[in-house]
Amino acid sequence: MMTRKTILCCNLCLVSLMLFSTAYAHHVLGRPSYSLNEDSNTPPSMHVETQIGGYFVTYMVFPAFPKPGEPGRINLYAKRIDSGEPLEGGVTFSVRDDSWWSSKQEQIGTQAPDDTVFRQGFVFSEPGDYIITARFVSDGEPHTIDFPLTIGEKSPFGPLGTAFGVVLAVLIGVKFIQRKRLLRAIIRDAQREKT
Amino acid sequence: MVMTHPGLPQAWAIGVWLFMIAVTVRAILVPAGAKLVPQHHNIAQLPVIGDVVRLLTRRTWPLITLKILLIGLFLLIIISGLFGTAIPERNIATVLTWNLWWTGLIISVFFVGSAWCAVCPWETLSTWMVRLRQKAIPSNSLNLRVPKELRNVWPALVLLIGLTWLELGVGITVDPYATALLALFMVVLAVVTLAVFERRAFCRYLCPVGRTVGFYSQLAPIELRPIDTDTCSHCTSLACYHGDEHTEPCPTSLMMGTLQQNTYCTSCGNCIQSCPHDNIAWRLRSPSIEAIHNARPHWDEAWFMLSLLALTVFHGLTMLSFWEEWISALAGLIGDSNQLLWSFSIGMVGAMAVPVLLYTVTVKFTQKSIGRSGAFKQVFSTLAFVSLPLAFAYHLAHNLTHLVREGDGLSALFFNPLGVGTVPLSMAEKHARHMDLLLPQDVLFTLQAMLLAFGFWVAVKVIFHRGRALLPDGSATRVWQLSPVLVFAVLVTGFNLWLLMQPMTMRM
Repeated sequence: MMTRKTILCCNLCLVSLMLFSTAYAHHVLGRPSYSLNEDSNTPPSMHVETQIGGYFVTYMVFPAFPKPGEPGRINLYAKRIDSGEPLEGGVTFSVRDDSWWSSKQEQIGTQAPDDTVFRQGFVFSEPGDYIITARFVSDGEPHTIDFPLTIGEKSPFGPLGTAFGVVLAVLIGVKFIQRKRLLRAIIRDAQREKT
Repeated sequence: MVMTHPGLPQAWAIGVWLFMIAVTVRAILVPAGAKLVPQHHNIAQLPVIGDVVRLLTRRTWPLITLKILLIGLFLLIIISGLFGTAIPERNIATVLTWNLWWTGLIISVFFVGSAWCAVCPWETLSTWMVRLRQKAIPSNSLNLRVPKELRNVWPALVLLIGLTWLELGVGITVDPYATALLALFMVVLAVVTLAVFERRAFCRYLCPVGRTVGFYSQLAPIELRPIDTDTCSHCTSLACYHGDEHTEPCPTSLMMGTLQQNTYCTSCGNCIQSCPHDNIAWRLRSPSIEAIHNARPHWDEAWFMLSLLALTVFHGLTMLSFWEEWISALAGLIGDSNQLLWSFSIGMVGAMAVPVLLYTVTVKFTQKSIGRSGAFKQVFSTLAFVSLPLAFAYHLAHNLTHLVREGDGLSALFFNPLGVGTVPLSMAEKHARHMDLLLPQDVLFTLQAMLLAFGFWVAVKVIFHRGRALLPDGSATRVWQLSPVLVFAVLVTGFNLWLLMQPMTMRM
């Protein structure tokens, strides 16, 4: 049974725990963010940090919003989580169309590290949502990691069309059922009158 | 580089702890009286505010004007999200939705309860689309009854958990396009529900925002209630429930004569307009009376309140450094990669389970302590009200930081809501925003500390008033038997206080 003394002790323990512990804010892994370095001439970049197996991976796209026909670059940097050693060997980059109706996949190139960074250039002729896949082998184990890349503007009409379509279909369906209900009620009333 | 906001200083935390200790000791040594004397005041009789309330409740045009204004902003969010820049801090869709609305909404409940629901654009848009014009009897709805299995708050709870997953896991708060998709999804859901089911099934059973606002409104200082309950008991028309030829029935099927809690009231004011006896009014009241006494315990509602607590604590937890370390370690263990969504989801379930398990253990101990071993559901549901002030206080304190520290830059967005031709914030701009607070930092810290102290104070009142009703003889001398729940409130407030003391990542 809890006594008053126990409650007061719990309070004091929590106070001391709170006073002597510190923690720091986090950075969200795997989430794209956009940044601008005002001290350099580089354009704004899209930046993702994530991990795979024993590696932390940093992935940057220049420019942040590439357009069709515009040359761009992917910089990938990977280091071991335990020792901080950078990845050596080669990284193979490939691309696939992320739309529902397409399964096109194409290899862009294999890159060796340039000052521990794997740099891959690209030019896309068509706008759309793509997935860039980076593959590398470490300790005999294959590692594959995917990153989203949007070329040009995202289509705003797909979601709007779908929303209007669903609403319209439901409203028409409801109207149709209501008419059937009304018709049934008229027939029922007419039959009642006959009998 | 990650910009962070400083946490609550230790001096304030010590102040809150001292307050908590004083309240705890006082509650045990000097138990409160068993009887509560509720006090109310008709807002319409107040000077100035009364005129505004009368205008809003007696005339339809002010509410319609507000609705049109909010629909305009809502459509702006959809258009900006779909057509505007992907840079979150340069697009009005993300800033208006998450930095202003989502944070300000909870703060608004503290003053005006569920007033937001009265002007909610999801509800207004769905009404305009389905009913075409305001009519008491809907012309374009099947008016089916909601299946019995769904007539509870479980659907809203599932959607609220889903919304939190999208917010903290997927990162919808920094994705204008996804924000617009969510807005469209909610409108479609509201339209479909209104077209198929009777009244406002969406507001009552599905809307995660409405239910969150509704539960927190139990702690609001205002309520919509009958002026004289005797008039209601002799009323034969029940116009508040059924509506009349000019006014819609209560959207959430409430009958004013028996109304005890704000949870499902959408503040639409239909009851004021339809009441033939002019017997419904907005009243001022003690902000804690409903959670302490008036609201009736229900199993599903108890889970919702407990989940609100778990979700708010989880919200704070995800902002600590070791959260990322745990998720990273878990991702390594299960082979997760990319956005680490599997690891996040497992972490979320685990983090939410902790307060729920802690509460369940608390209830078990309390059952033993008060000698009611066979009434788990009753004790669980009755004491779950304790989680409401704890969740609300932390939620308010947390949101206050977002609003005060990240509300800057909104006015500039109205000149370029889509963010056309803009670039991400530079470090200099981030730093400028970091330093530019809407309120002085000391005022913010004072408010946060006061909110946590307020939450704990109400929680203790809930424990001793509701808990006393569970005691076999309701004796004031045996309130120490409720100590397990008191320890639960101390642990939760202590943890929330510790969370507030940590530096917080800027959401931009």
